[in-house]
Parts: sequence; C-alpha cells; structure tokens
Amino acid sequence: MSLQAFSASRALSIGVELELQLVNTHDYDLVGAAEDLLRLVALGDKPGEIKPEMTDSMIEVSTGVCDNYGMLLEQLVGLRDTVADAARKLNIGICGGGTHPFQDWGERRIVDRPRFHHLSDLYGYLAKQFTVFGQHVHVGCPGADVALYLIHGLSRYIPHLIALSAASPFVQGHDTGFQSARLNSVFAFPLSGRAPFVETWNDFGAYFEKMTGTGVVASMKDFYWDIRPKPEFGTVEVRVMDTPLSLERAAAITAYIQALARYLVVERPIQPAEDDYLVYTFNRFQACRFGYAGTYVDPETHWHCPIADEIDASLTRIEQHAIELGVDHVLGRLRQAVREGRNGAAWLRERHAAESSLPEVVMAQCTRWMEGEVV
Amino acid sequence: MESASSLSLWPAFLPQPAFDPFLGFALALVFTALVGEVLARRAILPRVSGYALAGLVLGPLVTGWFSEVELERYRSLVDLALALLLFELGVRLDLRWFRANPWLLAASAAEAALAFLLSLGALLAFGMDWSPALLVAAIALGTSPAVVMRVTAELRAEGQVTSRLLALCALNVAYSVILFTLLLNLSRGAAGAGWLQALWQPFYLVAGSLLVAVLVVAAFALLRRLFNPASEQGVVVIFGLLLGALAILAMLKLPPILAPLLAGVLVKLRDPRPQLWARHFGSLGGVLVVALFMFSGAAVQINHFGTALLLALAVTVARTLGKLGGVVVCGRASGLSNPKSVALGLALLPLSGVALLLAYEAQLADPALGAEVLPVVACLVAVFGVLGPVVTQRALIHVQENRKGEET
Repeated sequence: MSLQAFSASRALSIGVELELQLVNTHDYDLVGAAEDLLRLVALGDKPGEIKPEMTDSMIEVSTGVCDNYGMLLEQLVGLRDTVADAARKLNIGICGGGTHPFQDWGERRIVDRPRFHHLSDLYGYLAKQFTVFGQHVHVGCPGADVALYLIHGLSRYIPHLIALSAASPFVQGHDTGFQSARLNSVFAFPLSGRAPFVETWNDFGAYFEKMTGTGVVASMKDFYWDIRPKPEFGTVEVRVMDTPLSLERAAAITAYIQALARYLVVERPIQPAEDDYLVYTFNRFQACRFGYAGTYVDPETHWHCPIADEIDASLTRIEQHAIELGVDHVLGRLRQAVREGRNGAAWLRERHAAESSLPEVVMAQCTRWMEGEVV
Repeated sequence: MESASSLSLWPAFLPQPAFDPFLGFALALVFTALVGEVLARRAILPRVSGYALAGLVLGPLVTGWFSEVELERYRSLVDLALALLLFELGVRLDLRWFRANPWLLAASAAEAALAFLLSLGALLAFGMDWSPALLVAAIALGTSPAVVMRVTAELRAEGQVTSRLLALCALNVAYSVILFTLLLNLSRGAAGAGWLQALWQPFYLVAGSLLVAVLVVAAFALLRRLFNPASEQGVVVIFGLLLGALAILAMLKLPPILAPLLAGVLVKLRDPRPQLWARHFGSLGGVLVVALFMFSGAAVQINHFGTALLLALAVTVARTLGKLGGVVVCGRASGLSNPKSVALGLALLPLSGVALLLAYEAQLADPALGAEVLPVVACLVAVFGVLGPVVTQRALIHVQENRKGEET
C-alpha cells in the first residue's frame, strides 16, 4: 500500500487532542462512563469533537483547526464546559493527568469499536494497560518535506515537552519516582519510538512501502511514534505529552510548540543528521524520570545541562516568533513555571504529601480540571 | 431448640450438659454461611440469596430450627446490621447530584409512585381491604437496602446504573418508611385513636430520626479528627456510634431505619471527600450481614402462605411493572440509555429485612391489621429475598458494571 499524499493545510495552524480520565465521585477510581457521557454530549453542539478511546473510562476531546492561541483556548474551554456539564449530570468527575494514580488495568473494559477490539486482540494486556492519557498537538505544514524537517527539528525538543507536561508520577497506588510514568506504557508497544531519519517525502514513502510490504503495518495509525506525520490532515502530530492537569497548561504547551515550529520553519537553524538521534532516547528518559532536573545532551555540541535551563534558553531563542504569534505572554508564564519547578507531577506529589490519600488527590485533580484556573 | 433433658446414655459421674441456645445460633450461622458460599461458587448466585435461602430453611417454615421467640432475642443484632448498611447507603446518596440532574429525582418519584399505585390497585382488585392494602403497597414501593449494598459490594460494581441504584434505593427506603408510618397512623386515626395523634407520629419519626442523625454526624465529625475512619480502629468507632444511636432510637421509640440512613446522607453532604471507611466493614460486618439475611429468611412462617401467595404474586407483577415503567419513562431525560434503564428497574426489585421490620411494626400496632399485612409481606420477602438479589446481580453484570466476577 502506498503512502497517502500530504494534504495542503494552513502553515502553523494548530489543533489539540486531549485524552481525559473519567472517575466516579465515590472513591475516585476510573469508571466506565464513556458511553453514557458520549450519549449526553452528542445532543448539544460543541466546538470540535468528543470521541471514545481504547477503554471505557477514557474520552478524547479534540479542537478543530485553529489559527492562533486565542481560537484554540476558546475551543478548549467550550469543550471543557460541555463535558463538565455532562459529567455533573452523571455525577462523575473528569480530570487530566497522564495516568490514574491507583487504577487496576485488569478492571478496564475495551470499548466496543472494531479498531479497539483489533488492537486488544493484537496487543493483549498492553491494550488495557494503555489506559493512559496524553495530549496530541497537530501543527499544519506548508509542504510534505517541511513536515519531515519539522519532525527532526521538534525531536530535539521532546525532553522539553515531556518535562513541561509531565503529570503521571503515580501508578497502581505507588510513587514511581518518574515525573511521567505514562510513557513507559507507550514504549511497550513494538511500533513506538521515532520516525526514521529521512528528509524527503519520497524517501518516507519508500520507507512506508517497505513497512507495509512486510505486512508489519497497515496504515500510519499503527505507528506509535513520539512525533508522527499525519498526511490526511497535512500536519505533524506531537504525541509525547501527558494530558496536563489544567486546560490552560495544555493551551500554553500548544503555543510553545507553535512558536518552536515557526522558529524552525522560518529560520531553519539546524541541519538535521542521523547522529542527532544518538542522544534521543537518553534525553527522553531523563525527562520522563527527572523532569526539569533531568540532563539534556545537546546533539551537536554534546554539552550537558539541566532540562530546565534548556527550556529557558529555547524560550529566549523563539521569543521573536512568540511575539509574532501573539503568545509571548503565555510563554512568559511558562518560563516562570519552569523557573519555579512547577509542573503536573510536582503538584500531584505535593497534594499527595498534604492529603496523604490518593483518592483525595484525584478529587483535587477533578476540581482543578473542571473549574479551570489562570495558568 | 429447648434445652435438652438429661441424656440417658451420659455417665452419671460427669456433669450434665445443657444445650446453650447460643450453640443453635452458632450452628445456624455456619450453615448459612456455607450455603451462601456453595451457591455462590456452583450456581454463581449472590451470597445473600444463599443466606436468605438458608434462613428460610432454618425458620419455622421448614425445619423450625429458630422459633419466633428466638428471632426476637436476636433482634438487636439485626438492627445493628441494618444500621450499618443503611449508614453506608446514605453516604452513597449524593444530594448534589439531584441539583445537576433533576430528572433523576423525577425518575425516583415516578418509580416509587407507580410501584405504590399499581401494587395498591392489584391488592384491591384481588379483594384486600383498603387499610392493609395501603400498608402493603407502602412496603412494596421500597427496595431492600441490605440486598443492594451487599450485591454491589460483592461485584465491586461501579457505574451509572450502580450509582443510580444506590441513590434510588436510599430514597425508596425513606419513602417507604415515612409513607408506611403515615398510613399506619392514619388508619389508626380513622379507627378512632385521634387524628392529631395520628398525624403527629410520622412527623415525630422524621424529626426524631433527623435529630439522632445530626447527633451521629456531629460525633463522627468530632471523632474524625482523632482517628482515621478507614483504619480498623476507625471501624470500631463507627460501630460504637451506631450502637449508641440505636440505643437512643430505642429509648425514643423510633424505628432504627431512617436515622442511620439520614446520618450517612448528612455525612456526605457535609464532606464530599471520598468516604472510604465503608470497605472495612469486612469481618464483623460480614458476620452481621449473614445473621441479618438468615433472620430475614427465618421470619417467614408457614401460616403466612395460602391466599397470601396469590396476593403476593399480584404485587410482584405490579411492583415490577411500576419500577420498570417509572425508571424507563424518565431514563433518557436523565441521561441513561433504555437498556440501562431496564437494568436499573430490575435491580430495584429486592425486598428483605426492612420490609419485614415494617410489617412486624404493623402487627405490633394493630394485630388484626398485622394479620392481613404480614403474610403478604412475608411471601414477598421469601420471593424477592432469594430471587431479588439474583436479578440485581444479573442486571449489573449485563450492563458490565461489575469489576469482579464474570466478564461478559
């Protein structure tokens, strides 16, 4: 099967998909309320889409194609209000976070859709273990080859994005020591990892033909890469973030990605090389495990520095582009958060130390998500 | 069991054994628990069905292991077990939900009203007098809190049908008790005991139960600062609180049903945080539950059958239709699909301990009235106490809300 042609899309347009947790308000464990929630939200109109995910305690909300941060935030708020209203009617809670702190994956049920049944049959328990919650950001590309350049360029910023969004320190009732333990569930899949180092869409097409020829993949959806091209939308999709604990952080991270993309596409500051990926898995692990305090190895200079400093430096590099996009105030708040070491994982650990009961932490997560906050 | 006279084969030089009636109770308890376990494993029945069945066998109906006198002696045990389950149920009723979803409240009113009216109609049609018919209908609109709590706990059920089942069950208990008291006293008022006194009783029931509930909640809030309710010591404290409440209720001559339920509701209303202590009712709670169902089964007696059976069957059909109808009509508007509404309606069917307690109260207040009410209710409990839990269990499994047990 040959690769679909890369659609045209407005350059640097953005879209966000967020996977959300559905919990009952009795013990704040995950609850299989997806079907009931979807039936309720199907009635009204809303910006974007609300869809089921692999197991019945997850839903995915996605915005449409947005030109700027303002439009994106508006759509996200509209989606949040829709699902929050429906959730209150059902007496359930909705929250962000990359994992549920104490759910038992064995209790999850696969949603009744052909694709999910296929994945469950193929991947066994990995399918139920995939009850993890991530943020996917789409960035519109002005062309197919640019998309590949963007993939390799953004790959250098994967640790930054992981550290900013990390919100899954607890799994099965225990502190994992990771800031983002969610990605360990993603990495379990055989087709996870990163795109091959190709620089033109033709080369990528050739790679894709080899993979489908071997029968290992049937479509682009079978790749669980950190950054993946999406030809039917004409975008690259960054899939590596945990769902942040608040909408505002999710929108801020999207603004950061948009500014980074603009910087890469306009300035072409780097020349991608295969060797860039020598440090890729190390950097990614450091971000998952230590967050802002992790070590970042620069692929070209081989210098080591804390990820927090790297994020700060990157924010300075892209400041002009942020101003052009009108998100410099948003990124300013993000910089402040990085300097103070604030991310989802830190907040969750703090709450756990204060409340010392994970169900109460999840309750706090729900309040934070459903009621919104400033940054 | 009477204490045995001397056994002829026992050697004279050894002290004569005398059978302690407690031995009978102990043996019965073990028998009941075993029946529950075996049926749970072999026939995948909920354990409480097995307990109720064992109780039926042990009661005066079949073997007569327990006589009526015995049952009275263990009444306080039954009351404590019920109080625990009602308290736990009250905590599961989140009043804030009704503000966000008024149709749910409408569904509750609809199913209770329909069950009451259809049962009343059926009883009158089959020849019962108004007074006893009203009382039986008031009992028939209820749902057994004990069965619902235990079946959902056994399945570790969670989901829309489960949450609504618990909420509607709690409301049904309240409707049933208050309406029953009102009607009982109205019938006595009509019989010449004085109208003012007749209306005073239900008011006293609600106000008195509320007062005791508030005391329990206040004590709970105070003690909560000193201990963690989710720990084992915490469970002991809660037991103590409820025993104290039961004692006060007995002093005030109030039934032990409404106050623990209201206490639970108020605890949740005050503090919406997850209340996780209920899980730990484990060991002692488990024993009490077995005893509760055993006695509920045993309370059915042989002279209850006969014409009562026909009336009970009529009420069975009527209340099933009423509950199903009420829930399904309001289902979609309250956000529940039709299959789930049907499951909810069926899950609301069990009748057990509370129904019997109310029937016995009628008998105490007016033996003639009780003689007509008790047989029908006893038959209903025999049927809905054994089969009801099975229906609830199957309904919850069918909508895939069980987290333990069969996975369809």
